[in-house]
Amino acid sequence: MASRTVEVPNGVPALASERAVTWPKRTKARLSNGLEIILAESHSIPKFHGELFFRSGNAAVADRAPGLAEMTATVVRTGTTKRASRQIEEDLRRIGADLSSNSGSDTSAISFAGLSELSEPLLALVNELAREAAFPEAEFERERRQKLEEVKLERTQPGFLASERLRKVLFGAHPYGQVSPSEAQVAAYRRDDLQTVYREFYTPGNALLLLVGDFDSNEMLSTAEKVFSNWKGAKPAARTFPAVSNPRGRKVYLIHVPGSVQTQILAGCHAITRKHPDWVKLGLTNSLYGGAFNSRLVMNIREDKGYTYSPRSGVSALRQHGYFSVSAAVRNDVVAASLTEIFYELDRLRSVPVPEPELADAQNYLSGVFSMGLATQDGLLSQFSTVALNELPDDYLETYRQKVRAITPEDLLLTARKYFDSANMQIVVVGDRAQIEAQAALFGDLEIFDAQGKRVD
Amino acid sequence: MNRLNIAVEHAKLANGLNVVIAPDSTAPVVTVGIYYKIGFRLEPRGRSGFAHLFEHMMFQGSANAPKMHHIKLINSSGGLLNGSTSYDVTNYYEAVPSNALERVLWLEADRMRALKVDDENLRNQRDVVKEEVRVNVMNQPYGGFPWLDMPPVAFRNWANAHNFYGDFADLDAAHLGDVQEFFKTYYVPNNAVLLMLGDVQAEEGIALARKHFADIPAGAAPPFADPSEPEQTEERRGNVEEKFGTLPAMAIGYLMPKRRTSDWCAMALLDQALHGGRAGRMHRELVLEKQIAVEADGGIDDLFGYNGPTQMTTRILHKPEFSSEAALDAFEAVTREVRENGITADELEQLKVKWRSDYYATLEGGRGGYMPKYGLMHLLACFTLFDGEPQLVNEILDQFLAVTRPEIQAAAKKYLRNEKRAIVFRTPVKASAKEAA
Repeated sequence: MASRTVEVPNGVPALASERAVTWPKRTKARLSNGLEIILAESHSIPKFHGELFFRSGNAAVADRAPGLAEMTATVVRTGTTKRASRQIEEDLRRIGADLSSNSGSDTSAISFAGLSELSEPLLALVNELAREAAFPEAEFERERRQKLEEVKLERTQPGFLASERLRKVLFGAHPYGQVSPSEAQVAAYRRDDLQTVYREFYTPGNALLLLVGDFDSNEMLSTAEKVFSNWKGAKPAARTFPAVSNPRGRKVYLIHVPGSVQTQILAGCHAITRKHPDWVKLGLTNSLYGGAFNSRLVMNIREDKGYTYSPRSGVSALRQHGYFSVSAAVRNDVVAASLTEIFYELDRLRSVPVPEPELADAQNYLSGVFSMGLATQDGLLSQFSTVALNELPDDYLETYRQKVRAITPEDLLLTARKYFDSANMQIVVVGDRAQIEAQAALFGDLEIFDAQGKRVD
Repeated sequence: MNRLNIAVEHAKLANGLNVVIAPDSTAPVVTVGIYYKIGFRLEPRGRSGFAHLFEHMMFQGSANAPKMHHIKLINSSGGLLNGSTSYDVTNYYEAVPSNALERVLWLEADRMRALKVDDENLRNQRDVVKEEVRVNVMNQPYGGFPWLDMPPVAFRNWANAHNFYGDFADLDAAHLGDVQEFFKTYYVPNNAVLLMLGDVQAEEGIALARKHFADIPAGAAPPFADPSEPEQTEERRGNVEEKFGTLPAMAIGYLMPKRRTSDWCAMALLDQALHGGRAGRMHRELVLEKQIAVEADGGIDDLFGYNGPTQMTTRILHKPEFSSEAALDAFEAVTREVRENGITADELEQLKVKWRSDYYATLEGGRGGYMPKYGLMHLLACFTLFDGEPQLVNEILDQFLAVTRPEIQAAAKKYLRNEKRAIVFRTPVKASAKEAA
């Protein structure tokens, strides 16, 4: 596939012809206990990366307590019926492995990486954590106490406060509206609740095992069969969630943090999930807007005006909904000026077609950066898991670049009009009220909160 | 264990530019880097933060690629780019589909040959850098702790002790003359290494390097200030206010041996015994067992890339109901144990397997997950600039795997001494905390 031409200054070497991008073959199989498994070989280093996913996360049990799945995942690694916490950590080091367990809105996962020569003991430990976690009382108490400190600490981070508020505003009573528990909710966690989540979520019927690395797929498949086949369990019942709010009209939410020397801006609106047919188009539109260094917003408010160091925009895809957002940490005296440019660039993409050469640049960008994932084992793992967990077509990776190349200026215009919903953007600003309230109020009705989430006006 | 056999080709152009190629055609992607042997340690006095501000200026325009073109040309070739400033080196790097290799080299050569920036560019990037400092340090809980808090407490030579991100007054005082002077002094081919890793043949890479870089004239050998420290003979302590967070924190740093000495290898493994994640002794004792701390981690900042006085640092955030003295006592129990009894044979075996596994990950690893072979690039650059031996990347692992228990205990006794350490307390202004340092 030829690259499209780009306007370049004199003397710049032209691009040589593109080398083919070949994604490694995936072996898909089901173990005798029903566990779905995907393997891919990548021999860059004598290691392998894996992830055991469970297709349920915090959202599925949000009605019991926010963050309950995350707390469950945290305690899973602290003890099994065979090994105490300290033993687990030493055994991991003994086999040169890294392991973490966590839970997002839609999935829970045990992620791991280790030496190829010691893959069997690592898989055996993963199997043990997935089947025989013991939730030792003392470990649970300690992790809960740790979590209390974590939730206190995150309330002092401007980025967290902004995203917490935006999610609340965009998703309301839907579980996606709650990104983190309160201190009181953490204090109320019970060990039994965690064990119930564990029994429901951590089953082979609910799981997907992904392995990428320096191994022979057939050999690895028989190792996996040997290690995991005695594990039994069915998929948990599907859950229904309350409808999302979809707020109309621009509104501004100010989180008052006295003494802030900078203001964190975050604005967003509803968009689409990963499965949506417009996903690739929206990805390209976003990369033109604020998703790349060379994007319009970065060139405007960083390279031209110097308001901020790190402006960016992105599309966050949750399993059932998605949202578009733009963020920048700016100087206190340019909050209004920054918001003006943020909306100017959104509206420009909604109203004026993108010139052909700029589109070609963005297509080359997205297409090239996509293939970076080929070069590392964890890059491959992340691409394969995106495809599998979002149930994208089998040839998604292979056809992605063609889809990017096929996009026209007209497509971009329509996509921006559909998803850069500037009239209904919800704006969050985190900073010192005395310095930014008047500026923020120019952009919509204003509500003011403190860092604990309490209304203060 | 298999010996590492990473293909590495090294050439030196007539102008002194080192060229290092590590070919690997696994993916159609090539990572290009240029490292200049100048970091924030040796930036000019009265110009704190200048090495980093200057790094930003390198993206502001060169003779044939005016402002915004550099970024545009890399992104529109399907690539990513960035730069970073460290203690003793500054790097610029790009990962691109391999069909853009020559374009990247052209751009890097253009800005090594002639930087073309004006006052407006400098004003702009000064503003950007101030927001960078605010977002990473001044407006964050525990921002800059301890990497900016520790140097003024631990060191006496301005080179090691100053604010590396820059006092705003110094950033404001920097002018265009400083920019061109710094460029002329340090950004010469004989003070740099060019690296290409991934989908490129060795001969091809070297030929392209000649084509684009050979006519850049060598400069005078850069004058380097002396970064050495007067002998430290007593413990040093300092206090910094924490504006946002509510947990008391402290950092304890011990002076490290020079890099590439045998003590250095022993300290690297001792560091892993102490700070190697949840199995590390600090985390295990302070967080898991005694439950005094919420976080207890740390390590050696840039083990392969430091080239002057540096420390191994432990960073502790502890629960407010424990005093600083109690937290420090718990920390000292851990260091005393390794001084008196060393580490166990089983522990050392575990550490070596983990070290090897981590080393492989470094070779492949990206930076923030997007820069293939960043780790390999960094090792090759440091081994070339400081040791003149890029092949060390294949050999150095063995030196770490040969460390013995007595060497580790000897290193603990020699380096983990109160008169060789500095402690910074970061004390919350908000806490109801009764403890004082």
